[in-house]
Amino acid sequence: MPSKTIVWLAGAGLLGAAYVAATMVVGGDRRMLLIGKTTDAHHQIETVCETCHAAPPFADAAVARKALNGTCLDCHEAGLKAAGDSHSRKLFRGSRMAVFRDRLDARLCTNCHAEHRPGITRAGAVTVATDFCVACHSEGGQDVRKHRPSHADLAFDTCASAGCHNYHDNRALYEDFLVEHAGGAEHAPSPVHGPTVRLRTRELPPDKSLGRGEAVAPAAALAVPGVLDDWAGSGHAAAGVNCAACHAADADAMPDGTSVPWIDAPPMEVCGSCHELQTQSFSGGRHGMRGHPRIARPRASGPWLKWVGLADPVPPEHMTVGEARLPMRPEADPDRILDCGACHRPHDADIVRAAVEACASCHDDPHTRAYFGSPHHRLRQAELAGAAPPGAGVTCATCHMPGTGRGKALATDHNQNDTLRPNGKMIRPVCLDCHGLGFSLDALADAGLIGRNFNGAPAVHVESIDWAVRRAAGAGRDAGRPLPGNQSRQSQLPSIESSQEEEQ
Amino acid sequence: MKRRTLMTAAGLVLAATTAGAAADGLPFRKVADMLYRVMSADREVYTRMVVQRLTVDRDILTASEHFEDDEALPLPAQMFRFGAEAVMDHTEEFSHALLSLHPINRKNGPGTELEKRGLEHVAGNPGENFYGEEELGGERYFAAVYPDYAVVEACVACHNNHKDSSRTDLEVGDVMGGIVIRIAMD
Repeated sequence: MPSKTIVWLAGAGLLGAAYVAATMVVGGDRRMLLIGKTTDAHHQIETVCETCHAAPPFADAAVARKALNGTCLDCHEAGLKAAGDSHSRKLFRGSRMAVFRDRLDARLCTNCHAEHRPGITRAGAVTVATDFCVACHSEGGQDVRKHRPSHADLAFDTCASAGCHNYHDNRALYEDFLVEHAGGAEHAPSPVHGPTVRLRTRELPPDKSLGRGEAVAPAAALAVPGVLDDWAGSGHAAAGVNCAACHAADADAMPDGTSVPWIDAPPMEVCGSCHELQTQSFSGGRHGMRGHPRIARPRASGPWLKWVGLADPVPPEHMTVGEARLPMRPEADPDRILDCGACHRPHDADIVRAAVEACASCHDDPHTRAYFGSPHHRLRQAELAGAAPPGAGVTCATCHMPGTGRGKALATDHNQNDTLRPNGKMIRPVCLDCHGLGFSLDALADAGLIGRNFNGAPAVHVESIDWAVRRAAGAGRDAGRPLPGNQSRQSQLPSIESSQEEEQ
Repeated sequence: MKRRTLMTAAGLVLAATTAGAAADGLPFRKVADMLYRVMSADREVYTRMVVQRLTVDRDILTASEHFEDDEALPLPAQMFRFGAEAVMDHTEEFSHALLSLHPINRKNGPGTELEKRGLEHVAGNPGENFYGEEELGGERYFAAVYPDYAVVEACVACHNNHKDSSRTDLEVGDVMGGIVIRIAMD
């Protein structure tokens, strides 16, 4: 006969297992199931486990791993495609890559980006060893130390940490690009950010503009102090967007503004009905990822399950300031949700507030604080004062949510990831509009300078352009871009005397 | 031109209908030969009818390995690779690659002993193919290596002038490398 203690322990164990199983399969607070601290940003979705753990319960490990890795692309595939992914998963497929896969199977995102592993997680959610390049680039024809004399004495943990290479995004770092942009000036003669210029100078149809007296809304809404004047001076009024377009968006018609359902605080979907590109990119970024269409919705639990307390705690629809892991200002309301209205005030004539002041109302880190008074900030003040052309000012958004595209695709990219980390992603869509490539590389490699928000000059020099130019000049042949009729491009290469001797 | 296009289309149909028949008894070598005919024909058609015609003969477009940045045509070798990657989206029964003893991109050099022997064989014995078997990642493969020729001036000019090319004396008609086809035997 087992002792009473064993019986009690077995019973408690069974109850505990049943609770965990019920939590996993049916509902409940899942934070107890987390096997380690989630990476930044992903922590926003850490209780909707099935967003990433997409395989059926008790699936074979290989199936589960494949399903898990497939979900990475649900959110990150577009970014990788835009980056021209230098090491796409496709490269590692096929029989002849088996030898490389044995060293580092890069078909699986999780082999380099393991989740719930805070002890080994670095910036960019990278968990692979810092010298991971050695797996493929240290032998035979791929041995960079042998084939690139300039690399002979370099350690493999410097490949991706010295400002020269990224694993995925090398759009601004590949050799021919370096050569083509060698010798660029620190500043362009008249620096402006092109897409920002197009955004700020975009003309609205003049015949659609609405005046103060044309607002149609319930009397109570119109009576809110200041709201009418604000709206009349806003971009919405200038574009002919009357009150009901947002506050009674479901109405087929609004003859008098009083006979239709009126919503005091329209949800984001209403904004997205016109600002589609913006809301799409917002849901891919750190402020809005909880709204991404591929994030799993909470499971519906039956009423009886709710009654016994097993219902899912419904994950909030929006990120809140209080959940941020970055330093936030003490006076920032921790319960403030991050939807469109958190940064944009739709009734406000000040449409540029969202580009700086809204950010600084929450973010409280050295980089943000140092912005005010920085060269970029001074340019913004000059632009706002009319002393500099549109697009000359540099705001938080210029770098972290830049304008992109042309024509109907022209919009502010609300996904910070597109330019954030590694910071070389920012060079082509942002930095090069105003700075030379060499200066940009140096500045972005200087962590101290970034912390000071570019107050000062780079104290770091990334040698990649120097090396690329020497190699191109030394080779005496084309830099990989045949011209019409196969004319040599060699004549366009910068000339560096004694380059061959230095390289060798 | 029309005749070549028709031949290519016929080859595609033939290969598509027979590649899957390997397990039913069609020799691996026969399947590989047919696949090669399709690949080789497509490669030559793109090189002649698109790249050579538009960049060299008519001088109205460029072809560049940085075709996105340069708004140019993809190079023939890149087109071949994209096709190989597209195949792998659908099947792992066979795979193919364009390799060379003198690759511009070093990752396209021989990676296995069989690839090295095959590339050396087709380079040293013009007109001949190379066949063998090898084990990779615990799987057994039938492998065939076919010569890849410089069919037009555009091939030669690009390879001879590129800074990363280790061979600069290519002439039209020379073997530049080889098309390697692998078929899973298990």
